[in-house]
Amino acid sequence: MANLNIDSVKERTFDAIVIGSGMSGGWAAKELTGKGLKTLMLERGRDVKHIKDYPTTNMYPWEFAHRGELTEDIKEKSPIVSRCYAFREDAMHFFVKDDEHPYIQDKPFDWIRGYQVGGKSLLWARQTQRWSDFDFEGPARDGFAVDWPIRYKDIAPWYSYVEKFAGIAGNKDGIAELPDGEFLPAFPLNAVEDYFSNHVKQAYKNRHVISARCAHLSKPEPIHFEQGRVKCQNRILCQRGCPFGGYFSANASTIPWALKSGHLTLRPFSVVQSIIYDENKGKATGVRIVDTNTKETIEYYARIIFVNAAALNTNLVLLNSTSHRFPNGLGNDSGVLGKYVAFHNYSAHISAEYDGLKEWTTDGRNPAGGGYIPRFRNVYKQETDFLRGYASGFSAYRGSKHEQHDIGSGFKESLAKRELGPWRVGSHMMGETIPKESNFVSLDPVKKDAWGVPQLKISVDYDDNDEKMKKDYLEQLKEMFTTAGFTNIKPESNHAAPGLDIHEMGGARMGNDPKTSILNKWNQVHSCNNVFVTDGASMTSTSCQNPSLTYMALTARAADYAVKEMQKGNI
Amino acid sequence: MDRRTAIRNLALVIGGAALLPACTKQNPIVNYKHFDINIDQQTLISDMAETIIPKTNTPGATDLNLYSFIVKMLDDCAKKEDQQAFFKGMGEFNELPQKLFNKSFADCSNKERESVLNTFEKKNNYSKDMLAFYNTVKGLTVFGYTESKYFMTKQVVYELVPGRYNAYFPVKNLKAGVKNG
Repeated sequence: MANLNIDSVKERTFDAIVIGSGMSGGWAAKELTGKGLKTLMLERGRDVKHIKDYPTTNMYPWEFAHRGELTEDIKEKSPIVSRCYAFREDAMHFFVKDDEHPYIQDKPFDWIRGYQVGGKSLLWARQTQRWSDFDFEGPARDGFAVDWPIRYKDIAPWYSYVEKFAGIAGNKDGIAELPDGEFLPAFPLNAVEDYFSNHVKQAYKNRHVISARCAHLSKPEPIHFEQGRVKCQNRILCQRGCPFGGYFSANASTIPWALKSGHLTLRPFSVVQSIIYDENKGKATGVRIVDTNTKETIEYYARIIFVNAAALNTNLVLLNSTSHRFPNGLGNDSGVLGKYVAFHNYSAHISAEYDGLKEWTTDGRNPAGGGYIPRFRNVYKQETDFLRGYASGFSAYRGSKHEQHDIGSGFKESLAKRELGPWRVGSHMMGETIPKESNFVSLDPVKKDAWGVPQLKISVDYDDNDEKMKKDYLEQLKEMFTTAGFTNIKPESNHAAPGLDIHEMGGARMGNDPKTSILNKWNQVHSCNNVFVTDGASMTSTSCQNPSLTYMALTARAADYAVKEMQKGNI
Repeated sequence: MDRRTAIRNLALVIGGAALLPACTKQNPIVNYKHFDINIDQQTLISDMAETIIPKTNTPGATDLNLYSFIVKMLDDCAKKEDQQAFFKGMGEFNELPQKLFNKSFADCSNKERESVLNTFEKKNNYSKDMLAFYNTVKGLTVFGYTESKYFMTKQVVYELVPGRYNAYFPVKNLKAGVKNG
């Protein structure tokens, strides 16, 4: 053992190890330390301390050399991450550049990653919706993937639990397919969003346009102040990191909370190579890492291990954790590990103008981004020639108007005048995709990364169902826009590769049957009961809600179960 | 006569052939990462920017040093082929004031400069490169102006922290000069 003389085994032994420090890893650390477990959190990237390590957070637009734009050198060097909407001059430092961690695209896949403490929780779009039984029962009803081993009643209390702590702004809308939660006051719809909401309510019986629910402290409660977070200041510069803790991130919320318990050891610069499996004990005993500064290989030990490396990297860690017992990856008796990967189809949007309500505009900024249209297709029964459906964003704003074709002093003056143009409206599609065996990730047999870990090969693509659904989205939204009296309607379909949605899911799916799934209903590996996977990798299907809230709830629920099982002596 | 014009005129007198693109002592070249710019080219871009956003009772393009911003953006953020089109278009552009007023853009009066640039704002049959050159200068001038500290603190005030969202705000209550998110 290379590390025997570095420190004693005892010093490298914990009650729990959490692999990853992002959205779900932060929750695992908070819950496990909160229950008194001495916990080691491993993060492959650097530390990012709340406020202190947000270098651009208080910069004015003119303080950026390129006023926010990317340079051509960066775009040429990192074409993949440059396609991400949030990868701009103000937040570039929180994204993985293409050459920093290469992977193999069997089919085009834009893999967007954030390797630092907090992971992508610093960068997320902060939209938070609960799933309902219309989502959990989807695979069983529609005959794809495998049945979810849980239903809404199993997770509902845990949604409440994480919502209260994270702080979710929203309205109680009373929509069965999008259950209400524990809400702080919603950010209201503006005049045209409201108008469209009313129009849709009258024109369609099961379609709703509601205030987008989001993880922002619209009106903080004592539990949020206790975290050191205060009211959201509507800056909408979230991707830089928020000095107010106005939105939920692991950096502002769960990690400092876990550190405060005194039970957390946070170890950045630690790339996990594999989980160590003990053939005699029949369980995992620890984790093998490479310290990216010293290049040393070090082993850490614990009674339970939570894998929260972000969906595809969690698959990578499990696939690379081979042993005599698990030659094809930890817990992979079924052979489904790495398979049935799915994502969200974001490849369509539609824009238009509205000529009315010109007496209104907005003042300030809306961190929720506007409205949200819950899935209305195939909810109560199958009604189209494609499976499942889509949620849609919807927002309206008034742009400013100035003479485009002009120069000189009059033109200069017009730039400073606040002449408002017509209302502009837009919507984007968030479609469910069907997990399939043919959409999978695997380890490249030859190519390795800088830490000796095989490179991930991604083979994920759209299918016919996605094309039909996209067509329907554009048709339906066009109809809704037309009947609302919107003009200059422009439906647009792009050919973005999967991945840019940053909602990749599955590969280590939950299920009732160990023959067809990796995890049981507690996110526990069927055949290795002290390993839990509670990030996107665990998702049996994707539905069309933004997934982070569900990862948080699954994590808190699994941590609660794991500790109870430890106390009972079952783990 | 301002300092810049004086230097340019001096260059004209001494060099006698300032329109030649060659590097001479009288037409010094500044090296950027992806191209070089001589003083005539610099003067042309500056004069165009000043024509688009002139000094009035408030600062103009020259006061705000938009020239440096334009060239930095062209150097760092434009594709190689767009940079090539820019300089090719600039060469063609130089013929336009000659044709219209029988003099260089630098020697045109403000009014003449405006009329040269205004031909781009109307229907025209200019080459792709010439349009690329003009649109780049104009686009970056306007971008640099509206995102300048001056504009964002004195003209349309940028607020880092609004701390508010009024979803229904009467247009009649809008104050000039405040950016409302």
